[in-house]
Amino acid sequence: MSLAEYARLAIKYCEKTGVDEAEAFVQAQQTIEVVLERAEIQSERVKTQQGIGIRVIKNKKLGFAFASTLSKASIEEACRNAQSLANVSMPNPDWVSLPTPSKLPKTPSGLYDEETAVAGGDEILELAMVSYDAAKNYDKRVEIDDGKFSAFVTDIAISNSHGIDVEEKTTLLEGYLICMAKERGEASSMAFEYDIARSIKDFSSKRIGEVAAEKALASLNPKTVEPFVGKVILDSDPAATILMYPIMSAVNADNVQRGRSLWAGKIGEEIASQKLTIVDDGLLPKGIGSSSFDFEGIPHQKTPILTKGKLEGYLHNCYTANKEKKKSTGNAYREGYNMLPLILASNLMVEPGKKKLDEMISEVDKGIIVRRFSGNVRAESGEFSGIAKQASYIEKGEIKYPLKETMISGNTFQALKNIIEIGCEIRPTLAKAYVPPILIDKINIVSK
Amino acid sequence: MVINKRDGISLVVDLLKSCLKKAFGYSELRYHKRDTFTVSVKDGKIDVLNSGIVEGACARTLIDGSWGFSSTTLLEKDKIEKILKNAASLAKASKPKKKRAVKLAKNKPYIDKYETPMKTDPRKSSKEELVQLVIDVDKDVRNFSKNIVSDTVNFNIVDDELIFLNSEGAEISQRIVRCFGSVMVIAREKGNITSAYDSIGAQTGLEILKKTPLINAGKTAAERASKLVSAEVAPAGVFPVILENRIVGLLAHEAVGHCSEADLVFGGSFLTGKIGKKVSSEKVTLVDNGFYPNGFGTMKYDDEGVPTQKTVIIDKGVCRSFLHSRETAQHFNVKPTGNARAWNFEYDPIIRMRNTYIESGDYSLEELAEDIKEGFFLKGGLSGQADFTGEFMFGTQEAVKIKNGKFAESLRGVTISGNAFEVLKNVDAIGDDFIMRIGLCDKEQINYVGMGGSSLRTKLLMGGAK
Repeated sequence: MSLAEYARLAIKYCEKTGVDEAEAFVQAQQTIEVVLERAEIQSERVKTQQGIGIRVIKNKKLGFAFASTLSKASIEEACRNAQSLANVSMPNPDWVSLPTPSKLPKTPSGLYDEETAVAGGDEILELAMVSYDAAKNYDKRVEIDDGKFSAFVTDIAISNSHGIDVEEKTTLLEGYLICMAKERGEASSMAFEYDIARSIKDFSSKRIGEVAAEKALASLNPKTVEPFVGKVILDSDPAATILMYPIMSAVNADNVQRGRSLWAGKIGEEIASQKLTIVDDGLLPKGIGSSSFDFEGIPHQKTPILTKGKLEGYLHNCYTANKEKKKSTGNAYREGYNMLPLILASNLMVEPGKKKLDEMISEVDKGIIVRRFSGNVRAESGEFSGIAKQASYIEKGEIKYPLKETMISGNTFQALKNIIEIGCEIRPTLAKAYVPPILIDKINIVSK
Repeated sequence: MVINKRDGISLVVDLLKSCLKKAFGYSELRYHKRDTFTVSVKDGKIDVLNSGIVEGACARTLIDGSWGFSSTTLLEKDKIEKILKNAASLAKASKPKKKRAVKLAKNKPYIDKYETPMKTDPRKSSKEELVQLVIDVDKDVRNFSKNIVSDTVNFNIVDDELIFLNSEGAEISQRIVRCFGSVMVIAREKGNITSAYDSIGAQTGLEILKKTPLINAGKTAAERASKLVSAEVAPAGVFPVILENRIVGLLAHEAVGHCSEADLVFGGSFLTGKIGKKVSSEKVTLVDNGFYPNGFGTMKYDDEGVPTQKTVIIDKGVCRSFLHSRETAQHFNVKPTGNARAWNFEYDPIIRMRNTYIESGDYSLEELAEDIKEGFFLKGGLSGQADFTGEFMFGTQEAVKIKNGKFAESLRGVTISGNAFEVLKNVDAIGDDFIMRIGLCDKEQINYVGMGGSSLRTKLLMGGAK
């Protein structure tokens, strides 16, 4: 049986047993993982995983159950479990309906790569080794701490009792390496580099190794700096963590409706620097979060979030959209078949500026550049504080020296108003956002 | 709700046993069935009401010193034989690329059964009552104060059936039950917004709800969010601090525990070569206990079939032991400590902490504050991270000012950082208010852990407002 057939089977069974609405989300995933640890292949895994999640609604009461076995018997059992949970649930007066079918856009190009789909343990091991060798050969002082390279082939099918019936297959490659450099008994801080792509062709193992090594070397012999409030260049990855994560939370319609978002009621207002324009694009070709439909089967689309600093809209799934009698923006997302849909950006795209990172550095009179951030970001309030890893001190447009045990802190929503420059080198991050380096001002910087 | 039957388990054991006969080299087969129940109420409405089962099996094979691993959710004889074959061929294929040849320390092949000691087995209890309880807690939390605008209350049961078999003859089945819940509260006032969070839980049955009612977590979170909504952010700099008992476990775990994991020691962590040497203040005794009563990370056997034990990492300031798997124990020529754990059947076991804590002292909170002229009492943990050099960071929710030995106003918490061993060297007093908390640790794969300790006094770097 195909995944779509399992999904339909579940819907048929639920309909027979007298629920008002039902939805089945079926996922099958083949994963190959190679884990490197302490300069050695620690494990190689081939994993086959599948499962079904069933959402039923009866008298506005919700029940959800899942199973990792796809068989008639286990699916029917999961349907009954979902129903019995709905029976003990309580009605939600805000419930309107599961989504109804609408015409799907053409599947964005480059989401499935045959070469990745047929890759075996050997091919993924080869990717890991290329990266490993690139780091090792970059400089003798570099040591590899750990890394992981994964290939996913994912097949998703969604059916519901209103006639939604969709299926799509995608591939994805992810890899990272963590290195340190050692010189005269002193070790650098841990340097992190990654790549993420839909195909083997677009995935650069070599670059991961080289950049991780370069970052580790650049953080040897660190010094401290007198505390100051000033300019910080956030590289793509820390910019995603510090700036995009609270934005995703603030434009999540569920948070808006619950009063958890500082951007509630601010549509049309200028809430960030005019340099900042962001859209969520679920149809980006080769996009990490792209597909023709979201995880409720609603068409993906392009949704403007910020235009020149002005708030344009929020991200919805079917439930939050229905609550306001709006159309869903197609942002339902599930971590897996065993989870109910939440709201998440698909590909949050920051519109790139004109300057390269080197140029941005050359224009900073006094500041720091942060290439990795290890800290806490409070999504609701935007407060952040943490250690700037692979951070260097900039003076008169030049990188002077790496920083030791330096903490940065501030408030994201304030920082968005203090953006000085947005770089042109945009790249996908591990946080569902495509982000270039961003220069912000008025950040607290303190060394021990 | 599905009721597992013990005879179902013995059927799986028989199936795995028959498959294992055909295994190559040293082979392990693990079966894992995770039965979960979650109820989550947001702002007075049920947001999640879930139950489900994930089950599968995995094979790990060691051939000529090289591991291979494969897993599946398809529990049929030919599929299990296939993962054994996959594991063997992966082990052979990667062999030429590996530098170290793995050897395993000896371990008796145990034949045993274990089940979490429980008074109220969740399998036999009404889910309706649990749903009602969470609804009630949500209501009380939202009524706590006018400035509370939103909340999420959840309660979870994770019921694991684990089977471990290996080609040496081990045959272990364990049932591990964890019950836990949390409350997240958002408060808003005059354009300010803040959140607070607290949790309860243990490895136990539903009696946890009597021992530590979920509303306690609700009160802690509600009180904190409500109070801090109009508070300033704590300042930045190095200060003398008291770490609350609830976050001392984070320090023990993040900062010190990871450095004692033998795979990290092998890679040159801070504790490499430090056995028998002084690494902290003599006030500090730091333990990782795999069989702590009701500990979130407790098991009778780890996922290599090694019995768990109490492992003293630091004894009165002196480093005494690392945490081992069979592989690292052989390398370091010691006995395995029972620290090889896997998140589920999709992962091979790696060295993980179980229940990590700093042993109690005898100071009261007031006595801890007495000698602090200007400092902070840091409360409520957020997530953390550490490098194996001992550099760590973790977030705190609240920073109560201490002035001339007295507690003063509360500020919003900030991330703290430092080198763990420096922080532990600066520990000059430990409180008497020991507690064990629940945690989730991520080291390539996640796992449930216990973290504990008593409030203690030290000095560290706070990253806050100017």
